[in-house]
Parts: sequence; structure tokens; C-alpha cells
Amino acid sequence: MEQLAYAAYGFYLVLILAGGWAAVRCRNLVRALLGLIMTLFGVAGMYFLMAAPFMALMQILIYVGAVSVLIFFAIMLTRAPGGAAGEEDREPRSALRTVLALLSGVLPAAILAGVILTRHPQELPLKPELPLGRLGEFLTGPYVLAFELISVVLLAAMAGAVVLGFERRKGA
Amino acid sequence: MSPLVLFHLAALLLLALGLYGLTSRRSLVGMLISVELMLNGAGLALVASARLTPASDELGQLGTLLVMGLAAAEATLVLAMVLVTAKRWGTSDSDRLSMLKG
Repeated sequence: MEQLAYAAYGFYLVLILAGGWAAVRCRNLVRALLGLIMTLFGVAGMYFLMAAPFMALMQILIYVGAVSVLIFFAIMLTRAPGGAAGEEDREPRSALRTVLALLSGVLPAAILAGVILTRHPQELPLKPELPLGRLGEFLTGPYVLAFELISVVLLAAMAGAVVLGFERRKGA
Repeated sequence: MSPLVLFHLAALLLLALGLYGLTSRRSLVGMLISVELMLNGAGLALVASARLTPASDELGQLGTLLVMGLAAAEATLVLAMVLVTAKRWGTSDSDRLSMLKG
């Protein structure tokens, strides 16, 4: 059974790796978005693996269902005049830029990986699955302020997006 | 390696990919995709810590839920900002957007 869990972990890791690589490397933004969606499904699988099915379903609902559709709108609405939608510039990327970007990505992760591998927190076996009702009680009990605040933040973000969308150039 | 370390390494992988994409991408939408990758890594690390250490399970899962909500709000705002940028300057290429003017 444990071997099966490790196999599932490896499968989801491959999904995350392949999708993430496509998301950051593909010149075509639609393909990059598909890579992002693949990664999101991989992370959802990992949530299932650690017996948090509510988080996995929320991940699919919010990220795959809402955020990626928003990004798709952004890709389709920002096409350059004359260019195809979602194509980044054809100019070759300079090697120095790629190397520096790799360094900026790998260096912080390597430092954190060193910390993770050397310092072991007290680790428990997987806890029993949290019932959904318990999460609901927490959300409407001790964390009710955060719950209300996030809805205000969402409302403000939506209102801000609408205001920005209706913006007219001065003098135009 | 223990499961906690494995999950945290997967989260770190997402962080590294996101940082790499954020610095190497030219278009604003590509940068937004990289930011979403990093936020996912943060959520994964939070839930893994909540599930596999003595930390409060509810706190970790609800925190990740709030991160997802904030990511949705952020994506909405960034979409509007990218649209305004593309309308004003005709491009969403971060290298060409170098003018500071009110």
C-alpha cells in the first residue's frame, strides 16, 4: 500500500514538473496555460494523496475552473496587432538572461531545500481526514473575520477590475 | 525521505519554476502564470505541514483556502491591468513598457 502511495506521488510529481516546465518555457501562451492547468491537477492529486479531498476539489474548482479561464481571457484580449494571439516575441532570448533567471529561481529554492533537509520538525503519521463540517465550524467560528474579509477583498478586486476596464484615455 | 519532506520538496520545485518563469518571461500574462505556480507551491506546503505535523489541521487547510481566494482576486485585478496596459501601449511585453508617466 505504501509503495502505491509513493508511485502516486511520483506520478503527480511528473505532472507538476512537466506542466510547470511547459508553463514557464513555452513561447505560445496558450500552451503555457495548458501546462499550468496540468500542474494544478498534479497539485490537486497531491492534496488527495494527503487525504485532504476538500482542498483538492477547491483547487480544481477555483484554479482550474476560474483562474485559468481568466488567464485565457487575458491571453486572447491582449493579442498584438497583426500577431497571432498569445505568441511572445520572436526575438531570441539572450543566454545571459536565461542563466540569470535560472539562478534566481534555483538559488532561493536550494537554500530552502537545505533547511528542509537538515532540520526535521516533529512529524506525525497522516492524521485522519478532517470532516467537512469541522472546517465549516472553524470558518464561521474563530475565523469568521478572515472569512468576511476575503469576501470584501474579492468584492473590492472585482469593483476595481470593472473600474479599470471602463477607463478612458484623457483627451481621447 | 519522509512524506513531509517529499511534499515540501514538490512545493519548492513549484517555487523555483515560478521564480524562473517570473524573471525570464517577457509578457505580463506569462508572468501571471508564473505567479500562480508559486502560489500553488505555497498552498501545497501549507497543507502538507498542517496534515503531517502537530500544527492545527483546520488552520492550515483554511489558510490555503484563503490563499486560493486571494489568488482569484489577484488574477481578476491583473487581468484588468494587463488589458488597460495593452490598450494604452499596444503591447503587454514587459521589456517595452519602460515609460513612467502619469
